[in-house]
Amino acid sequence: MTGQIVIAPMLVALSTAILALLARFDGRVEKAVSLVGAGGYAVAVAALFDAVVLAPGGPTTLTYGVSDWQAPFGIVLVADALSAFMLALAAPVVVAAAVYSVVSVDERGQRLSYHPLFHFMVLGVSGAFLTGDVFNLFVWFEVMLMSSYVLVLFYSGREHTRAALGYVVLNLLASALMLVAIGGLYATTGTLNMADMARRLADPAAYGVAVAPTLGLGALLLSVFAVKAGTVPFHFWVPSAYRAAPAPVTAVLAGVVKKVGVYAVIRLFFTVFGGAAYASTSTFAYVGPVLMLLAGASIILGGVGAAGREDVDGLLAFSSIGQVGFIVLPLGAAMTVPAATTTLAGAETMLAVLGVTAALVYSLTHALAKPLLFLASGTIRSALGTTDFAQLGGLARRTPLLAGGFLLGSLALVGVPPILGFFGKLLVFRTVAEGIAAGMPAGALAAATMLVGAILTIAYVTRGWNQVFWGEPTERVQQLIPVRWGRSRFAGDGDAGSSSIAPDGGPSTVTDRALVVQVAVVVALALGLVGLGVGAEVVVDAATDAAHAATGTDAYVEAVAPVDPGAEYSPSHAAGAANASDGSHSLDASAAVDGGER
Amino acid sequence: MTAQVVLAATLGLLFALGTFLVLRRDVVRVVWGVSIISQAANVYLITMGGLSGGAPIGSFGEGAPPTDPLVQALVLTAIVIGFGTTALALVLTYRVYEEHGTIDTHALAEADPDRASADGGTANRAVTATHDGPLDTETTDDRMTHGGDER
Repeated sequence: MTGQIVIAPMLVALSTAILALLARFDGRVEKAVSLVGAGGYAVAVAALFDAVVLAPGGPTTLTYGVSDWQAPFGIVLVADALSAFMLALAAPVVVAAAVYSVVSVDERGQRLSYHPLFHFMVLGVSGAFLTGDVFNLFVWFEVMLMSSYVLVLFYSGREHTRAALGYVVLNLLASALMLVAIGGLYATTGTLNMADMARRLADPAAYGVAVAPTLGLGALLLSVFAVKAGTVPFHFWVPSAYRAAPAPVTAVLAGVVKKVGVYAVIRLFFTVFGGAAYASTSTFAYVGPVLMLLAGASIILGGVGAAGREDVDGLLAFSSIGQVGFIVLPLGAAMTVPAATTTLAGAETMLAVLGVTAALVYSLTHALAKPLLFLASGTIRSALGTTDFAQLGGLARRTPLLAGGFLLGSLALVGVPPILGFFGKLLVFRTVAEGIAAGMPAGALAAATMLVGAILTIAYVTRGWNQVFWGEPTERVQQLIPVRWGRSRFAGDGDAGSSSIAPDGGPSTVTDRALVVQVAVVVALALGLVGLGVGAEVVVDAATDAAHAATGTDAYVEAVAPVDPGAEYSPSHAAGAANASDGSHSLDASAAVDGGER
Repeated sequence: MTAQVVLAATLGLLFALGTFLVLRRDVVRVVWGVSIISQAANVYLITMGGLSGGAPIGSFGEGAPPTDPLVQALVLTAIVIGFGTTALALVLTYRVYEEHGTIDTHALAEADPDRASADGGTANRAVTATHDGPLDTETTDDRMTHGGDER
């Protein structure tokens, strides 16, 4: 089997983290390991994407059974078009953040294991995208969170400890709740394997599964994923944690880690719970309105919050609460009328597919634009020591390239063609419009919320741009960036560099070369946004494939092909069958659970 | 059956106690509460696997079928993870105390820049400023000396 490619991204991230840990004796070696590892991660993801999405004969699904245990007995890792899309979304952010980290994290930060932690976080993200097992998803969440706790706490100052405390306590509670939900799901369905669970929920009578409890357990899972995605009412950790973390970590947190929550919602509720029927309606009928409510509240609160901030980091953090609302809204809208037909990429399809496609394209936009903006903000902070609007102004004349990158990122959030953001917003609006045409409840309210959110986006983006880049340079800017970057600074005389200061007010360690690299990363991400916008057809096609994979429960079950113990042990006499079984069969999950409860 | 009733009651009690502690103002109690809730989740997992069978190790195929071993493996994983996170939370609590001179959640919340500006709170800022004034110098010194060899 060609399944080994499935674990390639995880193996690369894991070995990079371990090697970086071993290479701590020399800062330069550690940086090199981190860079090569990030590059290798991108290559592994590209190879996996090629094998899954671009396979001859259309997108396919690859599986890898850990230790060669067959599903549902062992943990399986599943790479379908959805997982591949999410990994492809993560890879550029990881590379950009790794390059930025190498030049922005100082010697002391390196001694505190910055690079190993960064790659462990990437490992957790990749594992969460690839696993096909619910408990394993919990474990990868923990791997990701453990690293992110330390990275949020990284500077360990006043604000950082306070922010990390809220972040850690909230996520520990969420983890406990997730464990409860997983335990409950195991007890009711008798399996932890996602494909097996989907199969049992779709045909509960044949497996003796009581479906009613899974609705409540699903709601518990939804709230856990909402914490990860940072939607209202679980958004309050976002601004302080994003302010506290180093800029490249914030870029990964906002760009990728948030999308893990979105991915988990799509995977669990569209693929696994999608087939379940409660009292003659599907899960969608219950979850859809809740998601729409969460999304609408996030859009409004994030937009209003961002418009009222007085610093760049705060603005961006609140903006990402609002943007996640835009990602979740089409999911909720599609859930309320999933079966309505529409056309996408020239083929007739369900509205559910369109909704997931919209969410994925918007996720990709946000995953590139928000890291770009956070990295640009980090560069401003490293050059000027602050991101407060009161201290900034007129940067467009001094740092034209940085300003250009920031502008493109901002326009991507607004949704101006030909940047990718336009297509994301178009698909989101189209999902809601077609939902209204198909009789979606509270459709007018959803549309109005989106419009208000879009206007608020324009308002806060404009305000941020005006405050930071336009107008007359303030005293601080005059003093620290006396001439335009690129004129004399990078021409060779290093004198101008000595005047910049570090975030804590002391003399800066940031060198001219570091600034060149930082600006280059920002510009590269901006060009990526424009490039993907021009080639949006490719992106939408890939997202459509991913959406078909997400909603195609049957194909997912077939690809994972869990062994069916139900045929031999029908639940009505499971206890008796378990009695008669030999040693190997008593490991069978469903029989053991049923036997145990009687 | 009685074992399950006892466990269910215990679980209810543990979750209630944990929730009560999480809602306290003292950060140490909050960490205790989180820890108790995670342990309650572990007990819950064990209960979900059923308790009627024998130990799932050793004699397969003789007598009664063993209890489901899977949940016990899951709980082992969860305990290890919980151990690590609790240790981190406690160290973090200590660092918060070093930086802020308090572990009262209300006092900490007042230092939140978002909270302060949302309340229009120049008053809030003034209060925290007076609280923090004398602490500032020693906390920054602490960071210098402790930061390097912490890990």
